[in-house]
Amino acid sequence: MSRDVPLRPLTRSKMGVLYIGSVHVSSILFLGLTLSFISVAQTAPASIAANADNTFVGSEVCRRCHPNILVNFFKNPHYKSIAAAKLPPEGVPAPPAGCETCHGPGGDHVKAGGGKATIIAFSTLQPKQILDNCLRCHSQTLSRANIRNSPHTLNDVVCTNCHSIHKSPVPKFLLAKKQTDLCYGCHTNVRAQFSMPFKHRVNEGFMSCSDCHNPHGAPAPTWNMASRPRMMESALANEEPCLKCHSDKRGPFVFEHAAVRIEGCEKCHFPHGSPNPRLMRRPVVFTMCLECHNGAGGFGRRADGILTQSASHNMADPRYQNCTTCHVRIHGSNADARFLR
Amino acid sequence: MRIRVLLLILVGAARQFAQPTVAPSTEPVGNGRGQNVAEYNIVNSFETGYRFAEIGGDTGKYRSDVNYSSGVRLLSSFLSVNSRDGHGRYFDEIVLTTQGLGNDPYESASFRIQKNRLYRYDLLWRQDEYYNPALTISFGEHQLNTLRRLQDHDLTLFPQSNLKFFLGYSRNTQTGPGLSTIQLFDSRGDEFPLFSNIRRERNEFRVGNEIAAFGFRLNWMHGWDDFKEDTPTSLSTPSAGNNPNDRTTLTALNRAAPYHGTSPYWRVALFRESSKLYAANGRFTYTAGRRAFVLDEMDRGTSRVGTLTRQVLTYGNANRPVATGNLTLSIFPTDKLTIANHTAVYNVRIDGNSFYRTIDSGSDATTLLNFQYLGIRTIANQTTLNYRFSPAIAFFGGYTYSNRRIQSIERTQVSGLSDALTGDQTNQLNTGTLGIRFRPLKPLIVVLDGEIGRADRPVFPSSERNYQILGARIQYKLKNLSFSAAARSNYNTNSVSLSTYSSHARNYSADISWQAREWVSFDASYSKLHLNTLGGIAYFANSDLVNETSLYFSNLHYGNLGARFSILRRVDLFAGFSHVQDTGDGRSTATGMGLASSLPAFQAAQTFPLTFQSPQLRLSVKLQERIRWNFGYQYYGYREQFSNLQNYRANTGYTSLLWSF
Repeated sequence: MSRDVPLRPLTRSKMGVLYIGSVHVSSILFLGLTLSFISVAQTAPASIAANADNTFVGSEVCRRCHPNILVNFFKNPHYKSIAAAKLPPEGVPAPPAGCETCHGPGGDHVKAGGGKATIIAFSTLQPKQILDNCLRCHSQTLSRANIRNSPHTLNDVVCTNCHSIHKSPVPKFLLAKKQTDLCYGCHTNVRAQFSMPFKHRVNEGFMSCSDCHNPHGAPAPTWNMASRPRMMESALANEEPCLKCHSDKRGPFVFEHAAVRIEGCEKCHFPHGSPNPRLMRRPVVFTMCLECHNGAGGFGRRADGILTQSASHNMADPRYQNCTTCHVRIHGSNADARFLR
Repeated sequence: MRIRVLLLILVGAARQFAQPTVAPSTEPVGNGRGQNVAEYNIVNSFETGYRFAEIGGDTGKYRSDVNYSSGVRLLSSFLSVNSRDGHGRYFDEIVLTTQGLGNDPYESASFRIQKNRLYRYDLLWRQDEYYNPALTISFGEHQLNTLRRLQDHDLTLFPQSNLKFFLGYSRNTQTGPGLSTIQLFDSRGDEFPLFSNIRRERNEFRVGNEIAAFGFRLNWMHGWDDFKEDTPTSLSTPSAGNNPNDRTTLTALNRAAPYHGTSPYWRVALFRESSKLYAANGRFTYTAGRRAFVLDEMDRGTSRVGTLTRQVLTYGNANRPVATGNLTLSIFPTDKLTIANHTAVYNVRIDGNSFYRTIDSGSDATTLLNFQYLGIRTIANQTTLNYRFSPAIAFFGGYTYSNRRIQSIERTQVSGLSDALTGDQTNQLNTGTLGIRFRPLKPLIVVLDGEIGRADRPVFPSSERNYQILGARIQYKLKNLSFSAAARSNYNTNSVSLSTYSSHARNYSADISWQAREWVSFDASYSKLHLNTLGGIAYFANSDLVNETSLYFSNLHYGNLGARFSILRRVDLFAGFSHVQDTGDGRSTATGMGLASSLPAFQAAQTFPLTFQSPQLRLSVKLQERIRWNFGYQYYGYREQFSNLQNYRANTGYTSLLWSF
């Protein structure tokens, strides 16, 4: 039979206090064995942790004053930790389970009759403290391996800016809003791009930002000299995410269009949206082609210039002004070095 | 019974109103919803209704941009089943959501079932009806009217443990009719539109595992990515080609071009993020891509020299092994300082053989053997530093060095004689970033940053060589009011002695959201996306080589307004308006400017002013505790300034009932 007991802080480190709380008594042994895996990051803000008399009270006590939060909490992914009694989400053994896993011991909070000063209230924490709190459990996922270096983190956009733990309108990932609304909230220029006549179907719900981006941070893209764009969710072989869906453009081809492989799809396309067909960077194709195929020395595979068109192409004649009418396999071809078939 | 009658009446009324639109309605979610059945809580809702679309003008362009059509739809549905104690017998959670089922152009369904600590299964299914007339790309002769279906299955065993297993399967198909073109029979021949029956299929299987030990996690994944394309292409009727005044005609063409291959891959990652003193993660991937292909084409027609029957046969293999690695080390010496170093390696070798054989009625057979090799090796190292001087102020900066080597061999062999072109060049890029972030007031954040980059030998004339990026962002956020504004510029110059290239991109945006009362909120945003480029070009016009510059101007203005009202907690109303306008370079006619080029086609390509606007209205009325009636209307108007070929206007909308229980 289970019996919840409030426990005092178990050990103290330089960084703060290591918690254990309302747990099944038999789990203490388990906790002892796994202490070596628990990092010193499992701390609460100093002001809360410093009070050694502060005790855990258990989630049932929280329910008395916060019934609106707990009434549906069994649908919350964090309920796994309560159900498992000794395991928080995603596998790191860290006691206790329930409200106090994130909010710290509630003893003082109860005694004071509430108040944000006596408990870990995320609305009062600095961004880094919020990140540290969440990463105690949620660092253990490959997709979040770069979170501390992500541009979001470096700009103080941390977990609670996008996730709503208690009032999420979507069951998956506990997002505070629909994903596009969240991203557009800061990236207004991207919202503009997805409102163009030609765009990827993000607003229509067919795709989402996270199909191509990892908001938690990603390794630098290797296809573009590891500079920009950032936070990309790579496809196979660290390639551009475009190729996850547009697999027919992936190849390999005997005759690769070098621009595609060397600088990627963005060389010719705007990935979010464009006023031009096929998300092109120009309203017509020929100017885009000619800007590279101008024969200027120093460029190209052999640094002797990228080939200009032949003299048989008369650009004064409209038939030559649509390059892809003849060069149909412009992303790469197996049959023709000039991409004619 | 009353509910059914009500539903029929409302749907019927909606047909008469002949309005509606966009995506499903936002479902207000309250606390404590659902019904308890045994050990589970069940929440379910359906939004069913009629969608309407009335289009005037260019239907093809409308289908390309919007594509909603009329008909009855299951606009959305939601089902969740949750065990109330987290100890369900077979599962603890089921979540099923759908959107647009019943013939919307964008349909999707997601499904999750999981049992705590034991398994988690996710399915995402999507379908997209894609239509693109491509009028300005290839005279409209590269139309696509295809259906793309995507599905992803992921099963995780023991998701909360230190020993996890992953199984996955993804499938991606694209099918449907399309147009293509071919140029025959020699370089002075003609172009002919062809019909293609597009059939592409990608299947990916993956298996992996993750083990945690000593504070690190080892995650590996092995997968097989199979791709095949069998798109037969044919001529539907004898054709005089796009240029009927020349002699070249095509009376028959049949082409089969099966293209199959597989890309087995490995991904191994080792990471640790749980330490307060440091974090480390490394990732290595290896992908061995291989494709085999055959192209068998039979043409019959008239060339410049007379009647011709020809067979083109191409076959061979293409290979592309790719090895990549990433290693990131982050240290946190103090609470205020973060130092990270990231190294990335990318190595790809693309090679392939292609036998090209032609047999025609006018000459002997010709056999070519083509071989191409393209190798790209990139090594990049980046160090970033982020110092939080105080909670109110922080500095950040970084330096990146990238080195990319490109090797190339292009060889052609004819009757024992071979000719090879080889190339080898290296480009080095040095970039530095610097920024400051400060918070003078608690709700106010200001970020200023800049990046400067120098490349010594970019491979393309339009690549980044000497570039600088400046950015500024301000955000003011209170509980009910938020305001943000940003500006960003990216200037690049890649001019060399014989070629000029420069691009100027400037983005400005501002956004304000205000929840004035619990029942009313407003949202407004504006963006300006400016781009102008200047590039040196060379081309032939009437046998003369012309050297001049290509100009392009785009001044995109985007505005969005929205207001939401919730009246007596029974009626939700949203009114919005979005407007996109490219003012180009301000000219009133497409040609005649005489700017940079004497050819009208080049003048017309310098700018493409257009307007695209879309006002919309949504209404949602709570009829009963579990039933809402929704109505939406959205207008789309597209207009180009210099041509009316693609202009359209569309009235779209929907009416629906949302039934939740």
